[in-house]
Amino acid sequence: MLLIHCPHCREDREEEEYSYSGEAHIVRPLEPEALSDEDWGDYLFFRKNPRGIHHEMWYHAVGCRRYFYATRNTLSYEILETYKVGEQPQVRAQGAVQ
Amino acid sequence: MSQINRLNSKGRIDCDSPINFTYNGRQMQGVAGDTLASALLANGVNLVGRSFKYSRPRGIVGHGAEEPNAIMQIGSGAATVPNLKATQVELYEGLESASVNGWPSVNFDLMSITGWFGRMMPPGFYYKTFMYPAKLWMTYEHFIRKAAGLGSAPVQDDPDHYDKLNQHCDLLVVGAGPAGLVAAREAARAGARVIIADEQNEFGGSLLASTNSIDGQPATSWVDELVAELNGFSNVQTLPRSTVFGYYDHNFLGILQRRTDHLGISAASGSRQRLHRVRAKRVILATGAFERPLVFAHNDIPGVMQASSVSTYINRYAVAPGQRMVLFTTNDNAYQTAIDWHRTGRALVAVVDSRPAPNGQIVQEVKDLGILVIAGSAVIEAQGGKRVKRALIAPLNADGTEITGAVQKLVCDLIACSGGWSPAIHLSSHTGAKPVWDQAIIGFKPGKSVQQERSVGACGGTYSLADCIAEGASAGAEAAKLVGCGDGAVHFPMPQVEEYSEQPPQALFLVPHTKATSRAPSQFVDMQLDVSASGIELAVREGFKSVEHIKRYTAMGFGTDQGKLGNINGMAILANALGQSIEQTGTTIFRPSYSPTTFGAIAGADVAGLFDPERYTAVHRWHQQQGAEFEDVGQWKRPWYFPQSGESMQDAVNRECLAVRNSVGILDASTLGKIDIQGPDAAEFITRIYTNSYLKLAPGKCRYGVMLKEDGMIFDDGVCACLGDNHYLMFTTTGGAAGVLAWLELWQQTEWPDLRVYFTSVTDHWTTATITGPNARKVLAQVCDDIDLDQDAFQFMDWRDGTVAGVQARVFRISFTGELSYEINVPAQYGRYLWEALIAAGEEFDITPYGTETMHVLRAEKGFIIVGQDTDGSMTPADMNMDWVVGKNKSFSFIGKRSLQRSDSVRADRKQLVGLKTLDGTQVLPEGAQVVFDPQQAIPMSMQGHVTSSYYSANMGHSIALAVVKGGHSRLGQTVHCPLADGRTIAAEIVSSVFYDPKGERQNVQ
Amino acid sequence: MSSNPVNISIESPLQYFHKLSSHQSKGQRAELFNGDVDFALVVKEAPVCSHLNLRGSAQDQNFVNGISQVLDIALPTEPGTYNCSQEAAIYWLGPDEWMLVSRTEAAELEAALRKVLSGHISIVDVSGGQTLINLRGAEDALQTLLKKSSVYDFAAWSRASKDSGHCTQTTFAKATAVVSNKSDGSFDLIVRRSFADYIALWLLDAGQEFGCRIEG
Repeated sequence: MLLIHCPHCREDREEEEYSYSGEAHIVRPLEPEALSDEDWGDYLFFRKNPRGIHHEMWYHAVGCRRYFYATRNTLSYEILETYKVGEQPQVRAQGAVQ
Repeated sequence: MSQINRLNSKGRIDCDSPINFTYNGRQMQGVAGDTLASALLANGVNLVGRSFKYSRPRGIVGHGAEEPNAIMQIGSGAATVPNLKATQVELYEGLESASVNGWPSVNFDLMSITGWFGRMMPPGFYYKTFMYPAKLWMTYEHFIRKAAGLGSAPVQDDPDHYDKLNQHCDLLVVGAGPAGLVAAREAARAGARVIIADEQNEFGGSLLASTNSIDGQPATSWVDELVAELNGFSNVQTLPRSTVFGYYDHNFLGILQRRTDHLGISAASGSRQRLHRVRAKRVILATGAFERPLVFAHNDIPGVMQASSVSTYINRYAVAPGQRMVLFTTNDNAYQTAIDWHRTGRALVAVVDSRPAPNGQIVQEVKDLGILVIAGSAVIEAQGGKRVKRALIAPLNADGTEITGAVQKLVCDLIACSGGWSPAIHLSSHTGAKPVWDQAIIGFKPGKSVQQERSVGACGGTYSLADCIAEGASAGAEAAKLVGCGDGAVHFPMPQVEEYSEQPPQALFLVPHTKATSRAPSQFVDMQLDVSASGIELAVREGFKSVEHIKRYTAMGFGTDQGKLGNINGMAILANALGQSIEQTGTTIFRPSYSPTTFGAIAGADVAGLFDPERYTAVHRWHQQQGAEFEDVGQWKRPWYFPQSGESMQDAVNRECLAVRNSVGILDASTLGKIDIQGPDAAEFITRIYTNSYLKLAPGKCRYGVMLKEDGMIFDDGVCACLGDNHYLMFTTTGGAAGVLAWLELWQQTEWPDLRVYFTSVTDHWTTATITGPNARKVLAQVCDDIDLDQDAFQFMDWRDGTVAGVQARVFRISFTGELSYEINVPAQYGRYLWEALIAAGEEFDITPYGTETMHVLRAEKGFIIVGQDTDGSMTPADMNMDWVVGKNKSFSFIGKRSLQRSDSVRADRKQLVGLKTLDGTQVLPEGAQVVFDPQQAIPMSMQGHVTSSYYSANMGHSIALAVVKGGHSRLGQTVHCPLADGRTIAAEIVSSVFYDPKGERQNVQ
Repeated sequence: MSSNPVNISIESPLQYFHKLSSHQSKGQRAELFNGDVDFALVVKEAPVCSHLNLRGSAQDQNFVNGISQVLDIALPTEPGTYNCSQEAAIYWLGPDEWMLVSRTEAAELEAALRKVLSGHISIVDVSGGQTLINLRGAEDALQTLLKKSSVYDFAAWSRASKDSGHCTQTTFAKATAVVSNKSDGSFDLIVRRSFADYIALWLLDAGQEFGCRIEG
């Protein structure tokens, strides 16, 4: 049971108020039709699943109904930061490209 | 039997309050303050069970959560509870108890007499013996379980009530011994919100059985004062009888509070047990330590006990569990038991100390009492049947590894043992902190904290009482400061504690025998699961090296006691057999639960009618009064059909179906999801979400739409209406409402925040009554005079504002039956009123309420799909023969569009929606039936598709079905076959999925 | 709603629970207000009133000012707070979302708001879809009831004043609710109509140890 800080409610709230929504910062291609099946398939299906630092999307479903991002260590489950859509993470995995 | 072992001393019991109870059917008496274990011992009962594998007689060993043997079935009937530890069951009037092990009885055990069973079961026995043939496992399992006898679960419903509390605090203190109590007081004084929990019935921990004095008064008086002070704080919750059973992520802990178990087997009122789900900012673990048993031959005979337990029974419960005691120790600490025993006036045969020259303060004091101390020796074997009769002792070398002299017999009926102490590191281990071996205390200590916690006192390896108190105080002050209360300094004078200074203990994990371990009588490590030292050595010889593998192979630590006593000895024996250090061997990781937790408490109040929310429409009670049968759709209860007297379901559905097609029916469609959409970019946004375009939909108009996931597969469908400029109302499926809203928010918030649009759920706001059938307009006309209902003025796929039965309503002319239909929406507070007004208005047309089953049949006749029934997340619009709903010329690449061109999405042999007409029209295909082309093909046949919807259609006079079949759209007219589980095969023709009114003319009622 | 003809009946979501209590007789919930039974907890459903969902930008001064002009209540922009008057209350639900509960008729209120508000806003009448209920009683009983029902830490709230307090949208048993505290120590809950039966049964069950009754 995680305790997650909602950047909009500005409170630590229980995990059961949230739903997990997958990897963050995946941008939809502007021209999907211009992509090959393989490139489109990468966008559709392939996710990082890292061991360690992971930027992910959460939905405060039973709260303010806002999506936001969290940087979580997938080994320790520690949540290192949460931030709003449109913002960039302060914590990144070593060697990660900005 | 009388309480032959009850002492005249006081303890924490009340000898003037007798309590009657039964054990294995025998009437016995204990006193208030007793546990079942202390009462049994007072009555001279020591044989309490049979061991799991070898069926050996077993007696009470401990006095708390560590007890491996005294496992009891408490109560009978519906409220019976299996597998409680007698050491933790508080005695109450009328308590019924029985041993769980032993068949047919504890005193006459068939298994031990035949004897073969035990010899048959070396470590890994299950793996070796019962692997083949696999199909016989069920037979073996039944036999083993019966023989093992781990209690019996009640078969009736649990009569008790359970509940849960979600707690939040600054500091949770686990354990109310000296360290925990002081920690809680410091934090409470600093103003922190504190919860302190302890599994025992009263706070005080080890001090409850202590003869120490604190500040010149008995330790228990000091405890009483401290507890009274804690209870006086408004910011402190004290939870006795409460076991912290698990430590989870982000400082979330579970506590099981036994609220009424001590009063009787079933709670008179309120909840029997309460689960506290605690989110703590800081945690202080003050869980104490377990005394380590000594592993010698036949150390499992009843009468071999933990030294600290013997002291506890004497000091706390005024019970001496025997007549003649031998104390066997490796350390100074246990000499207290000799002093305590001496005070009872019963015979103390000798203190046997493994150390060559013990000379601590307390050793000297014991000697001064005239007690015989035999140094440099060990009890190498206990002898006796159902009770210890003799202890065999022999001199040891200095390392404790070899016997150096002659064996001597000591006559006794009690052997109190102490191999030192092991910190109770379970909770810290739950957090993932890796335990660290500390040679100074000869035990594992909690590893580096990975959560906001700190271990203090004995569970951190600190054993001196004064040090425990000092540590607790500073940890309490520190925790308070960390949550913003106080300055972190301890503001209490430390109490004066009189203690002996102790000499170092000796590490003795396996007492040598005159025979090698493999030949010696069994030296038990884990009593509950009969794991012996030779078993561990055998496992090593068979090639096991990892402590985690050994644990699983031998089952060490798997019992309900979770190896609280045996683990360290087991690991040390393993390390020795592997020729490495304990540090190198490491320890197994403890996981929740610390001790068994009832399913009742885990379920809490979420049972029966509260198991899952039942959602009702505003018309629900009318449906109930009409005798409707209900169907679960998500959490909604929807009327399924409305049987009249004597009608079967099929009769009712046939009648309802015919009524709609021939006159008029009424459906409660309130459960459909409804989302209000407003904003300048609303049309653009929903056009990106749906496959078709809404850019040109005018106010007053509706359009049917399908939405896809980005993979091109149908995800939801429904009608969307333009309510006004930049204002839309989206209908979703009943089950999809929440998912669709989250989906819209996801795209708007994360991908297209530049699109100005707001979404609001209005599902609950509207009651929707659908009237449908050729007479629908006539019914509506009776209660609505401000909407022009003319066929041309109010067309199909239009909607109008108006007044229906005097209530402001929105009326949609949309249809899921193919008939003339009006969906009348009013705010739900008017829902039941509107419904009854429509029923009255339709009386002359015999308006017929119908449920979801008729709705399904009618729409299937029309070939309308239901998302989630005819689709399963792998169907494109083309698969559903719904290319017409996909806007090919939309400028924006709507969600899922690109995927429709993926090579997999355009395969010719995709499963496609078709109608199936059984050759024998009376046969109704089962939904889910597989479709094959060649019924003669050998099994495994090649599956070509499956039936998604199937009904008997009273309107058609034969059965109808929808199915998805590979390449189905080009197979019209072909015959397929559905082989059923019962061996029959039903043949059907592939037909159009539209069975009824293919041209859609029935809408056009003048 | 005063303009309705007299023969139109309305039903509040908890209508069928008014006068029910946690005391049971022979498995049935007895309809009783027996003077010798103490109810430490009382659940009272407010009369049907207007609930409007408001959306707009807290940075838009026209929006913020317009709301306070029409309602005479400042729009709460601090997360987790509400402001209220005798007539109405506005609850913060999210950074651009509020719930307005008022005694004024919904259509009238919406029209008044739309008259002064402009730009990208949304006003949605959800009056039929939810109900406001008040939980009052002994403080210990109330706190225990809330702890049983929700994962939120209500005990951390400071006391509400006459015209403002705390609110939060969170879990309530297996449903959801907007919970707020009031200056008299009681709590208001806004729950969805379709979950109202479940919530009522839950409250009676959870409040049973203290005695709990529901009033209309």
